[in-house]
Amino acid sequence: MSAALEFEQVSKEYRSFLGRRRFRALDNFSLRVETGEIFGFLGPNGAGKTTAIHLAMGFMRPTSGSGRLLGERFGHDSVRRRVGFLPENIALYPRRAEQLVRFYGALNGMKGAVLKKRAREVLERVRLQDDVGRNVSKFSRGMLQRVGLAQALVNDPELLVLDEPTSALDPLARVGVRELLLQARAAGRTIFLSSHLLSEVELVCDRVGVLHRGRLVRLGKTADLLETRGRTEITARGVAAENFSGSAAHDGIVSFSVATSQQRAALEKIWGLGGDVISLNPERRSLEEIFLEVTAEADSASSEGLL
Amino acid sequence: MRPVLLIAINFVREQRWPILVLLLWVLLLAFLGLATDAARQREDLLFVFKQVAVYVVAFSVFFGCSAIYNDRRSRRILSVLSKGIGRQQYLSGLVIGITLACSIYCFALGITGSWTLGQAGFPVQRVWFLMLCLIAACALAGTVALLFSTFLNPFFAAGATAAAMGLPALLSYTAGLPHLAYVMPVYALAATVLDSSFNSSSGVSWVPIVLSFVETLVLWLLSARIFSYVDIAVSVE
Repeated sequence: MSAALEFEQVSKEYRSFLGRRRFRALDNFSLRVETGEIFGFLGPNGAGKTTAIHLAMGFMRPTSGSGRLLGERFGHDSVRRRVGFLPENIALYPRRAEQLVRFYGALNGMKGAVLKKRAREVLERVRLQDDVGRNVSKFSRGMLQRVGLAQALVNDPELLVLDEPTSALDPLARVGVRELLLQARAAGRTIFLSSHLLSEVELVCDRVGVLHRGRLVRLGKTADLLETRGRTEITARGVAAENFSGSAAHDGIVSFSVATSQQRAALEKIWGLGGDVISLNPERRSLEEIFLEVTAEADSASSEGLL
Repeated sequence: MRPVLLIAINFVREQRWPILVLLLWVLLLAFLGLATDAARQREDLLFVFKQVAVYVVAFSVFFGCSAIYNDRRSRRILSVLSKGIGRQQYLSGLVIGITLACSIYCFALGITGSWTLGQAGFPVQRVWFLMLCLIAACALAGTVALLFSTFLNPFFAAGATAAAMGLPALLSYTAGLPHLAYVMPVYALAATVLDSSFNSSSGVSWVPIVLSFVETLVLWLLSARIFSYVDIAVSVE
């Protein structure tokens, strides 16, 4: 599978005017985002996520290393016609919503009836069909964010780069964006999603990468990362809680966790005691737990001088 | 070319209030034309016309100094340059936008000047020649300002632009070498406007106009080159 976005040993250092103070935002950062996947890009504030995105979009040059966007080196102008980008805290020119989306579409070489139709279509997809004639300067932050999404989608991009797309949205709009992302993936598009909303990422992303202090500290399939640590959660009824260590009982339902290797024995014990098994699930961690764990690990490794 | 024009028109739209304020000066001239006897007070009318005319050069410098800065500070530049356009095209749009904004003013002034000064006996074709001088001066001054603003904040860029435009003129004046004024012919073009009178028909030279457009082109290419190395996402605050 070809890479939609690729960073190769990229470092980015910010320097003060006279170069006395330096800050390394990215440190030998390498990542490959495959075509057709939704990739979740996570990290605490100041981890370097936005810097990585800005490098990919050609807004700045790396201090060292290189990267490719849809097969072209970072900064290549015409390749951006195939990319949709939503910056964090989007700022827009004060114009009517439809006019604005058409302006951005025209900058991407679209024109005429096709552009007009597409602008209407994307504004409808972000549920702004009743506000197309209103000036965006009168919009709430959530509505601006939706116009931002519309301008990112107007050129029907192969790759969508979204920096905090749902940060200002209400729960209903978030669901809408989630559906939109899943539809885009179903249509073969690639999505690079930077977000602090871990529950959103958990729901839509195929793979996630966690960036911390400019370094990629965890990378993997979402399902694998969330997978159990070798334990199974069992709920049963018709048995007494005292028979299973570490169990909790509520309304006659007993739930407890056992090592996966002990799963069969636990089930036989329930049946042997005349109980019924209600559910049996591999114990999953939330992305939030993983996020906290890896950032804490990276912090302690950093304080011990390992990073 | 279409994205360049879109950026240019967008720039003019964003600057509509300063342009409208500038156009108030043209209204003042129109008012004087109505309220005075053009034939008897023709020198006063010409004086006001010349004063009002050269303001636009200063405005072109302000436009040039603040264009990139405003887009970067507001972060609107990110959504523009995330599209399939190059930085050279973006800068071209700004240069054309600045020239267009100043041309709107010059056009309005040209019409008002033709009417008021024409009544007083000033040749109408000379009014339009002076407007062309102004447009050339604005294009060059705006591009110089834009060039400095790619790596300096607007205040320093304005100062550097004033120095770049004024030094050759100052040297030509103090050293007595008139050709030095053509190194950066903004002053030479402004002087063509300021020195015009009812009596003289001399001083009509196309050299500074041609030079000005050539230098605009060269400096635009240079500013595009510099701008391609600028980290535009870095805060300008």
